Amino acid sequence: MDNLTDSLHKLERKVLPILHDNITLKDIIKKTGLKEEEITRALQWLENKELIKTEKTAKEIVEIDENGEKYLKEGFPEKRFLSALKKDSRLQNIKKDANLDDAEVNIVLGLLKKKDLIDVGNTIKLKGKAGLDLKEYEDFLKELPKEKSKLTIKEREIYDELSRRKEIIKINLAKDKIIVLTDAGRKIAKEKLDDNLIEALTPEVIKSSKWKNNKFRKYDIKVNVPKIYPGKRHPYNEFLNSVKEKLVNLGFKEMIGPTIETEFYNFDALFQPQNHPARDWTDTYRIKDTKYGDLPKSIKVKQVKETHENGWKTGSTGWNYKWSESMARQLMPRAHDTAISARTLLKGIKIPGKYFSLVRCYRPDIIDATHAVEFNQMGGFIIDENLNFTQLLGLLRNFAIEMTGSKEIKFFPDYYPFTEPSVQISVKHPIFGWLEIAGAGIFRPELTLPLGIKQPVIAWGFGVDRLAMLKLGIKDIRDLFSQNISYLRDSKWQQ
Amino acid sequence: MATIEVSYEDLMKLIGKKIPIDDLRDSGILQVKGQIEDIKNGIMKIEVADTNRPDLWSAEGIARELKGRYNMKSGLPKFNIKKGSTRLIVDKNVKDIRPLIAGAVIRDIKIDEEFLIQLIQLQEKIADNFGRKRKEIAIGLYDFDRIKEPLHYKAMDTKTKFVPLDFNKSLTLKQILEIHPKGIAYGHLIKEHNQYPILVDSNGVIASMPPVINSIITGKVTTETKNLFLEVTGNNFEYINTALLIMVAALHDRKGKVETISVINGNKKTVTPVFKNKSINVDLDFINQRTGLDLKKQDAINLLKKCRCDAVSSGNKIKVTYPAYRQDILHQADIVEDVLICYGYNNINPEYVKISATGSLRKIGMFSDKIAYALTGFKAQEILSYTLTNKDNLFKKMNLVESKVIEIENPVSKTWSVFRTSIIPSIMEFLSKNTNKDYPQQVFEIGNVIIPDNKEETRSKDVMTLAWALSDSKADFTRAKQVLDYLINHLGFKYNIEELEHESFISGRSGRIIIKGKKIGIIGEVRPEVLINWNLEMPAAVFEIDLNELHKLVKKFR
Repeated sequence: MDNLTDSLHKLERKVLPILHDNITLKDIIKKTGLKEEEITRALQWLENKELIKTEKTAKEIVEIDENGEKYLKEGFPEKRFLSALKKDSRLQNIKKDANLDDAEVNIVLGLLKKKDLIDVGNTIKLKGKAGLDLKEYEDFLKELPKEKSKLTIKEREIYDELSRRKEIIKINLAKDKIIVLTDAGRKIAKEKLDDNLIEALTPEVIKSSKWKNNKFRKYDIKVNVPKIYPGKRHPYNEFLNSVKEKLVNLGFKEMIGPTIETEFYNFDALFQPQNHPARDWTDTYRIKDTKYGDLPKSIKVKQVKETHENGWKTGSTGWNYKWSESMARQLMPRAHDTAISARTLLKGIKIPGKYFSLVRCYRPDIIDATHAVEFNQMGGFIIDENLNFTQLLGLLRNFAIEMTGSKEIKFFPDYYPFTEPSVQISVKHPIFGWLEIAGAGIFRPELTLPLGIKQPVIAWGFGVDRLAMLKLGIKDIRDLFSQNISYLRDSKWQQ
Repeated sequence: MATIEVSYEDLMKLIGKKIPIDDLRDSGILQVKGQIEDIKNGIMKIEVADTNRPDLWSAEGIARELKGRYNMKSGLPKFNIKKGSTRLIVDKNVKDIRPLIAGAVIRDIKIDEEFLIQLIQLQEKIADNFGRKRKEIAIGLYDFDRIKEPLHYKAMDTKTKFVPLDFNKSLTLKQILEIHPKGIAYGHLIKEHNQYPILVDSNGVIASMPPVINSIITGKVTTETKNLFLEVTGNNFEYINTALLIMVAALHDRKGKVETISVINGNKKTVTPVFKNKSINVDLDFINQRTGLDLKKQDAINLLKKCRCDAVSSGNKIKVTYPAYRQDILHQADIVEDVLICYGYNNINPEYVKISATGSLRKIGMFSDKIAYALTGFKAQEILSYTLTNKDNLFKKMNLVESKVIEIENPVSKTWSVFRTSIIPSIMEFLSKNTNKDYPQQVFEIGNVIIPDNKEETRSKDVMTLAWALSDSKADFTRAKQVLDYLINHLGFKYNIEELEHESFISGRSGRIIIKGKKIGIIGEVRPEVLINWNLEMPAAVFEIDLNELHKLVKKFR
């Protein structure tokens, strides 16, 4: 209980002692002199501490209206009518003398006839004594406002009477809070509350000796605090960094290549014939105006050309067509990461070796939840003497376990234009079931030999966007590049 | 890749054996590099991955292959092709338009609904995928009983008229290109010529306009059709013959009687289809080296027979004969894959080989990562955008005059039509999408910009830059400079700011950042008109730094 007492805020301390059951907000304002918002806050805190219960109510309050005010001042129209009638019996003169408008005259005539006080003919005649007592009306009006539900039976009659007439009284809906003290609240409200608790610990408080003699107000440590937004790395970048880290740990070296490539590296060096459907207008982007780049000054270009045309010394038949240098020089945004592998192989590499790239690629896809025109691809290759398919499967299995943590792995035959044999790897995800996560194969001899590589090269590519979507719980590929700052600010730490 | 629809019942009928659907999905269909994506009302949607095996793009082709895998048949598939007497005469005037044609006649065929669906699907997939949208291959099917041979393949005047399929009145060839859906889709293949290719019979009845559309009279094949005429046009005989063979093989498997035709071109007579099986010699050693398996010669021969090839021992090699319609075998490596597939990828015991190599990341990547972490210490939120953008964002909204950019010739949407040359517009766009979120918004992005450069081999270079911005009621030049100051100081450098007039920034509140005499970036308070262009009501201050240059300085001096 002491703890609770000590945790009361200054405002709560002012409000609590004056509380009693069914007290209204207006009363509290009156008694404490606090502002309405201060009281509301104090009440909220007290309620959080279970010292009070509040209930919102709406009451019908009877209030005096425009005509009511007027009649209190000038007298009711019927009274004025009767006084005027004593001087003159002609309606027009009465109307003028009593200062009544047409509507009022009509009401008054009806009313007085009903009470059998007048006769209406050519002139108006008074019947009997003018016994009209309006005091109870006036008293009722003077006592307003009153809560409608608390009217006495007599008051209720008057209310009904007056409410039939124009703008004498009105009903106002008053919203208020009803406050009920809890047992604990009742107890604390009776205590003498210490007014000298220390609120904020300020340099002044530290310097003075106040902190030695006074208690600190205890905070409600469970209360929600305003949000802050420290800077964060982008969740997708964090994921990509963790993937890169794994690759480096597995011994892979990062390769580089330009965003804008020649078709030579994107297609020709990968033994994709120049009349291959993938090279068609609709499947890759082309560059406007700046159409041609340079080919490397290397005998290897000629070897690639001959391999396409007749197989060169690779043991292949080749594609049997006339290879065009200008087509190979055409520029395009890189359509797949394998372009970088081609570049690296042509430049020359260390053997044995492991290489990877993680880069943006571009394709004119129809944009939907799984296709974007710009996306990341991660791929690479492993080169060594005597690498074979059985070892490829071993490397991939190890790879898949490392990348996804899943130990259930299946291999499927697949097709890639530059590998033979080709394989696709699926892993079993605890929620989504079997997922295709990577493709791989041994680079065709028609690819490696012209580039001067005699050893087998195992090439692989991971659907890194897809892995990221799984990891980050994203369903739409476009959300990897989310433009919503709230999403980025709320992003969670990744394991 | 081709996605085709195949009826499960029909496929089982063609194989001649009932394979449980689970077995088919988890093993059988994978052998043809296929995947069952979906099954609805007995119709399977199958994705066939191999672009070079159009013979597998139909129920007939898949069944032929699976008969080997399920031990129903072994070795080369057999085809009976009779010599026929139908003639097709080619006029010289098609030479420069679409020079080549090949064909066949199929008699006594019973076409049911499933068969008709497969036939039309195969025809479309071959012409579309393998035939590069009819450029290399267009296939025509006709009711042979409505055609009087010899047929003539010739170019005719564009005013020539006939009633095309799906229309009920006759149109000129020119009109077909203009208003018929197929004419609109494929007309560009012949449009530039003043005459268009036509197939016409000896009564003068027009059968079709290759590669666009058949006539309604002869070119409608239904379940009533008894005898078929089949024709393929293109520019490369090997291509069109392959397409013809695949169609013929499918029709043969449906019990049609195949007859050759004679294609007469001047003095030259070619009998089509040319059905000549091909062969290649394969080294057993090569197979074992490449697979890592230890196969005996007979093992390899048995496996090859399973994938519908004939294989016989020939010295220390194996002579492999494969069907005439297969054009995917260029090298013995292609045979190795067939052996492996028949062996079963999942029957192989993977062998883990350790290759010792030292991994490493690109230095510039590691450098920018450190910068990124330093900036998060400033409460800056990292963002990511596409490198593709548009001229509106890059120049107009930034109040800048257009300068050279790498532009895409065939964009899907104008939104992504040029490569960015600065990240500042990307950041402005981001801010413009978050005006209803809590401020201050302090953000940064590190990424590539693509700068045109004719000296480079690809006429452009990737430059990694860092752009930072603060959007807030209190954002100003001082705030931006404070962050820059901290960052450059953190790297151990001193810098100068030189005055700069920049159309995006308020005059007198923008500058060029210089370190050791090198211009490495810009800084400024964004002009109100630029803010308004981005629908921003908050002031913004920004800077952008060339990280490649900064990294060079770090390597040189630090």
